[in-house]
Parts: sequence; structure tokens; C-alpha cells
Amino acid sequence: MTALNPDPDAALVERVKRGDVRAFEMLVVKYQRRIERLIARMVRDVDLVADIAQETFIRAYRALPQFRAESAFYTWLYRIAVNTAKKALVDMKRDPIVTQTSLQGSEDEDETYRPGMEPTDGETPEALLASKEIAATVNAAIAALSEDLRQAITLREIEGLSYEEISEVMNCPIGTVRSRIFRAREAIAERLRPLLDTREGNRW
Amino acid sequence: MSLPDSDRSQYRRLLSALADGDATQGEAARAFDAWREDEDTRASWHCYQLIGDVMRSDDLAKPPARDESFLQALRERLADEPVVLAPVDTAEPAPVAVVEQPAVANARAGGWLGGRWQGPIAMAAGFLAVIGGLQVMRSPSGGTTAGPVALAGAPAASGSAVVAAVAPAAALAPVPQTQATAAQLAPYLAAHRQSTMNATFQMPGGDIRNASLVQPAP
Repeated sequence: MTALNPDPDAALVERVKRGDVRAFEMLVVKYQRRIERLIARMVRDVDLVADIAQETFIRAYRALPQFRAESAFYTWLYRIAVNTAKKALVDMKRDPIVTQTSLQGSEDEDETYRPGMEPTDGETPEALLASKEIAATVNAAIAALSEDLRQAITLREIEGLSYEEISEVMNCPIGTVRSRIFRAREAIAERLRPLLDTREGNRW
Repeated sequence: MSLPDSDRSQYRRLLSALADGDATQGEAARAFDAWREDEDTRASWHCYQLIGDVMRSDDLAKPPARDESFLQALRERLADEPVVLAPVDTAEPAPVAVVEQPAVANARAGGWLGGRWQGPIAMAAGFLAVIGGLQVMRSPSGGTTAGPVALAGAPAASGSAVVAAVAPAAALAPVPQTQATAAQLAPYLAAHRQSTMNATFQMPGGDIRNASLVQPAP
């Protein structure tokens, strides 16, 4: 069902292809966390995850003119991330000075999820606490949504359905779907925003 | 720069639609502009994406400062990169020969020359070029002059091929200038052939052929 959905990032990708680097930043903000988690499961060296993620996005930016939209942008980006991480692993094995600390536990280059093997991410206790607080706030906000709003945003974010498909499932016009998803996001964001203000006051 | 509060809700609505790939072209353009100019828009985009990530998995919940520093570092690297500019239509490679452009343009516009007729026409043009070459090589002076005539005839043969290749496209496309050019070329090509044939008959070198080697007396 979702295989036939158009790529939700098509407008952003086209914008980047026409020379708008800021549109690429929007894609970075959208996928950075998922890409970092993927790389962390492959490399398992917390110091290298951010560097490899950066390299992934730079490679994607350079290769974007060749992106033919035969797959979704995220699928394409995912492949670049896997290849970049594998190359980093090969480079680490070639360089023993770097690999002495980096190779611990990196023998498995499989990116598949294994319970209990999540990277520690090298986060401070404060950062870990903040992460837990964010997750708890989002979950509590979702639980507090009306049934219509919760169903709409769940079908979109978790099931990945298009607006058209959600309108069929919920038996309502597409405009209503669009409005419900926006209202759900705003209701969650209202609770989340106090946690997202950086201490320096420098937001994005 | 910041947008007025009254506009923010409207822009957030656009961002929400853009995040799901449901924004129209105009809405997307407005959302891009807002992202560029308004920090609240950028924070809202991050917030919406974070909500989606956390809904999919709690371990994607990260403090915003971390995401922000990642973007800042990437911005610095992107600033050193050449700006991406992809061609709008990359379905077909650009034609090398200028004379083929009308035919290619016609094919792209969906004319009957496009697709299945392009191959046969190209083959016919090649065949005509070979015939033209053979005609020129059939010199009235016999086989001894074949070399120079073939060399002189080469441009004329290519000229014939060009005309042959252009003719079908010109017949279809309303470009009278192309037909006029082909017609204007004809007398020049004829004159060129004539001059090269004359040049063949006036081969210098009679003196050389008549020269004899005189050996010095011992």
C-alpha cells in the first residue's frame, strides 16, 4: 500500500537540485537522528558516529544531482550511510593507531537491530535525562490527544500512510486529515517546546 | 528575522504539510522562505520531526542542542561545497550535433519522429551518406584518381548526410529557415564538387613524371 506512495521529500529534493542549500538543511534536520542511530549500530564507536553522519550528508549532497528518485530519498540516503560506515570500518582496520580503540565490538558490521546492544552514545547523564524527558513528554501528549487526532498522526508517523490513504481509513476528506495531523503536532509541540529551548537561547 | 505571530501558525501549517509531502508547489515555496528567514519556523520543523521520530522509537529522543550543533557543523562543511545544480530534464543526453536539435526537440514534444521513427531515419540518413560517398568516388577519370577525389569529396558527402538528416525534421517542424538553408547549400555543394573534380584533372606533377634520372659519368 505504501510502496506506491510518492516520496514525501520530493519537493525538498527538487529544491536542493535547483541550488537551494537551505532546503538540504531541512532534510538533514529530518533524518539526522535516524542516520546517526543507524551508523551507531554499525560502527559502535561513539566518537565516530557524528563524523560519519556528517560525511554521509556531505556525500548525499554531492551526489544529489544523480539522484533519479527511483527510490525514496530516505532509502537512497540510508544506502549512502551504510556505505560510508562500511568504508570507515575498512579505513579503521587499515590504520592500527586509530583502530585500537575504535574497533572494540565493531566486528559485526550489520546494521540490524539487536536488543541490548544499543550504543551508549557517549551522552552525559544530563543529556540522557533530557532525552528521557522528551520521550515521556511526547508519549504523554499523544495519550492526551482526542481519538481522531491520535489516530491521524499515528497512521501518518508510525504506519507511514499518505493523506489519501488516511482519509480512506478514517472516512473523511483529505483536508480534514491534513488539519487533524497539524493540530495533533501542535498539541504535542506545545508541551514539548519548553524542553526544546536551548539554554543559550540560540535556536536554530 | 522573525515572522509576526499571526503568520506563524499559518507557516507551521505549511511545514506540517511539507513534512508529509502534501504541500502544493506554492505552499512549499512559502515554507522554504520561512525556513530561511524565521528561527521559529526552523525550531518548529525540528520539533515536528522530533515528534515523529519519538513516536517511532523512544531512543530517537535527543536534546535539541545536540541536533543544533550537528547542523551547525554541517553548515560549515556545506559552505565549502559547490552549489548543487542538477539539470531539470535529465532523461536524455544533450545532442552533440546542432543540426539534430530540431529532430530531438520534435521527439521530446511527442511528434511522430520521436521514439520508433528515430532509428529508421538515422539508418536511412547513414545509407544516403554512403550512397553519396560512392557517387563521388565514381570518378570519370578512372581508378587512379580515386584517392584525391575521395578526400575532396569527403566534406561534400558529410554535407549530403547533414541535409538528409535534417530533411525529415524540417518537413515536419515548421522551420522554413532550415529548408532555405538546405536549398541555398545545394549550389555551393555542386560548385564544390565541380571544383574538386577539376582539381583532379589538373594534377600537378607532369614535370615530375617527365623528369629522368641522369647518372653522372664515372
